[in-house]
Amino acid sequence: MRRAGWYLVTGAVAGFAGVLGFHVGGTAAPAVLGQPKGEIGTPSASTTPSAGPGAATGRARSAAGAVVQYGYGQLSVTVTVRGNQIVAVSDPVLHTIDQYSQQLAQQVIPMLRSEVLAAHSAQIHGVSGATYTSEAYAQSIQSALDKLHVR
Amino acid sequence: MSVPPAPLTTHAEPVMGTVFSFTAVHGDLPPDAVRAALTAACRILHHCDALFSTWDPASPVSRLRRGEAGLGQMPPEFTEVLRECRAAKEASGGWFDPWAMPGGFDPTGLVKGWATERALEELRGAGLSGALINGGGDVAVFGSPADGHRWRVGIRHPWRADALACVIEAGQGPVTSWGLEPAGGSGPWGPGACPRGGGVPPRASIAAVATSGPYERGAHLIDPATGRPASRAASATVTGPSLALADALATGVAVGGDEALAVVAGLDGYAAYLIRPDGSETDTGGIAFAR
Repeated sequence: MRRAGWYLVTGAVAGFAGVLGFHVGGTAAPAVLGQPKGEIGTPSASTTPSAGPGAATGRARSAAGAVVQYGYGQLSVTVTVRGNQIVAVSDPVLHTIDQYSQQLAQQVIPMLRSEVLAAHSAQIHGVSGATYTSEAYAQSIQSALDKLHVR
Repeated sequence: MSVPPAPLTTHAEPVMGTVFSFTAVHGDLPPDAVRAALTAACRILHHCDALFSTWDPASPVSRLRRGEAGLGQMPPEFTEVLRECRAAKEASGGWFDPWAMPGGFDPTGLVKGWATERALEELRGAGLSGALINGGGDVAVFGSPADGHRWRVGIRHPWRADALACVIEAGQGPVTSWGLEPAGGSGPWGPGACPRGGGVPPRASIAAVATSGPYERGAHLIDPATGRPASRAASATVTGPSLALADALATGVAVGGDEALAVVAGLDGYAAYLIRPDGSETDTGGIAFAR
């Protein structure tokens, strides 16, 4: 197997609670759910040693996505790719701007199948979803897949 | 030296206001032939966009919508798309209806899937051993990504752009082959797929996964009954042998929710997976969810 080692893509994916379609007035200081694992704020590109089990056999590449602000909050996410498949999607670091969005997140998200995919089972070739604009594509998992497939 | 992995070329093409992603598995094709096939597939997409873009006021479909030109003056592709639209309207029980859109006939909910299928046929005809095309969120595949593997398609989480709601396996499996599988056994969607089809596999070896929902572009989903924006789903996914129909049905289920899901449940070869606005989930059966 000529697997090229581990690649680490650190980016930020925006647009959490905005898609719920609720309008919540007022803004508060950003709150953080979960344990921060990535940089918050200005994105940057860097090379980081991999901590994964494949670290001994390959180098790690880190590319940070631009932070886009819209809706009611933003998410930081780390996607780990081995060869040409995503092997891990980190627990997202959620920054919501209001308490109500946080409550919605806690109520709704655990009900989906996605809890199994926070782990290491998401070895995928593509992502199906509602049609994204060219701008939203740049922030998508599919975009990360496309970049990392290139040899 | 170890055996190299199956050669594979990816490409991302901006077209139709979104980005199409290609994964081409070379098989025995030389790299320049793969490149040529991808170029031809992209040309098809741009051609379809030029014909059916409702955002381009000069496109044939825009002229048709404004009443400046009749059907008889439309390019030949319109005959096929209209036929597909009629079939999709009927199959969806009216939940997908291009004739009920504001501003006149609007085949947008079907054309992207239809064009993606045409592009995929181009790649298959060129002799690739497998390919995946993701048309801005609607996916069609043929063949396999590598010997003994099936395509794995993640379904985007409706509330988290970085997460998946589930993973679906698509395409021919490592063991099954057409005509040899037991009735009611493995179809293109894995064990238990197509229970209503009596075990008859689709003629085409294309497998499609289409998803619709209000989360990317807001209220673009229209209820044909009222002509107004409506959505009874956070996310609606439809699988089946045609991406044109799956695309239209996914739009229908996104609008109609459980009621439209029940319609898809009655269609041979098609299956649906619905995430309701409250986050609860249901499906018709017949989808190979990966564990």
